Amino acid sequence: MDWSVLWSNRDLYASGLWSTVELSAAAIAACTLLGLVIAAIRTSRIPVLAQFARCYLEIFRGTPLLVQMLFIYFGAAYLGIGNISVFGAALLALTLFQGAYVAEIFRSGIEAVPRGQWEAARVLGLSRVQTFGTVILPQTRAIVLPPLVGQYLSLVKDTSIAVVIGYAELLREGQAIVDRDGHPGMAYLAIAVLYFVICSPLSVVVRRMERKAVTA
Amino acid sequence: MITKSPMERTPPTTAQVALSGVHKRFGDLEVLKGVDIEVGSGEVVVLIGASGSGKSTLLRIMCDLERADRGEVWVNGVPLHDRKRAPEIFGHVGMVFQQFNLFPHRTALGNVTLALLKVRKISRKAADERGREVLARVGLADKADAYPAQLSGGQQQRVAIARALAMDPAVMFFDEPTSALDPELVGEVTGVMRSLADEGMTMVVVTHEMRFARDTADHVVFMDGGVVLEQGTPERVFGSPAEARTQQFLHRVLDT
Repeated sequence: MDWSVLWSNRDLYASGLWSTVELSAAAIAACTLLGLVIAAIRTSRIPVLAQFARCYLEIFRGTPLLVQMLFIYFGAAYLGIGNISVFGAALLALTLFQGAYVAEIFRSGIEAVPRGQWEAARVLGLSRVQTFGTVILPQTRAIVLPPLVGQYLSLVKDTSIAVVIGYAELLREGQAIVDRDGHPGMAYLAIAVLYFVICSPLSVVVRRMERKAVTA
Repeated sequence: MITKSPMERTPPTTAQVALSGVHKRFGDLEVLKGVDIEVGSGEVVVLIGASGSGKSTLLRIMCDLERADRGEVWVNGVPLHDRKRAPEIFGHVGMVFQQFNLFPHRTALGNVTLALLKVRKISRKAADERGREVLARVGLADKADAYPAQLSGGQQQRVAIARALAMDPAVMFFDEPTSALDPELVGEVTGVMRSLADEGMTMVVVTHEMRFARDTADHVVFMDGGVVLEQGTPERVFGSPAEARTQQFLHRVLDT
């Protein structure tokens, strides 16, 4: 084993790692927000909007992320819709794809809260939005957190798909290193370890939140 | 379609709650078949009847949790049959549910102050003060910081009553408030309800507690098969029920 190949490429690994973290963090924030909004619409049963939300879910859960990302990046250029950056396209695709799953997680959490909670809040004069934010959502925490972490972890790993549109994330830098210096076993193992390094603190943080949610 | 809709009129009476010709069906099931009820200010009306007689549905219509298919519903001067105006009632009536429906993630005080903060938009300090006042009113001054799961059923229901009281409701509705309670806890809840009645609160109560109906109600309404079969003072309805169905019902509930 030749460890020097890793050390000599440390800058590339570092920049790849940073790009992956950046994309992951942005996509986690965006897909959570999107998922919340879609779940709120789905559970509100507002006629046209709810159907629109359903269509969105079907489309983005029913097609591969890889295809979505290619379509968004190259399709946007082809259709002449502005010039989307590589990061923008990767973020958009990840958000739309993961947002669909996150929405369903939130929906199952929201639907697990008894109807009586909505009714009590309603008679007290709270608006739907107030009820959602102060009564319903806080109660979904324990139900929603475990699957949500799972989704975030899969999102982090899915950022590697952005390699196909040329986003210089961890995997792409790794490929570049292999192309130049060889030692693919070493290089890819290092990449796997780095993904694991990103994912593990996420699980720890959320496990701690979970424990708090249970005791609250 | 140019005929003036009834919803544009002013309340037909000075009653706090006035229902006329209320119909409601759920699918094929006709739950209410034309109900007229009036509840005067400060009056305590108790709805009794077998389960499925429509009394809970009627109560839920009075606080706009269900909507009547036909008929007029006036509560506190608000026409609930007018879709646009119905929401005006929220925050001005109190509802106490069979299952309490307390917010489990908030303390007793947090439950009581939520609507004061979000709907009345008063300061946290004023809300807490008012919250502690109503908790004391139901005998739970020392439980302000307890979560619902840490309270007994009777205590939870009293918090629910306090939560409704905090908003200074014009009318309070009780939907079988003691049905989910262990028998030994019923008294503390009916006790609070009795004292509210004594203070002149307008109340509409659906209950199977016949003792409460007999000694607290101004007016007892017996419902059967989606209609008001018989009504009057508790002495009249309990003492000399005119209808055979009422006699049967009272016989059944009083002898068990």
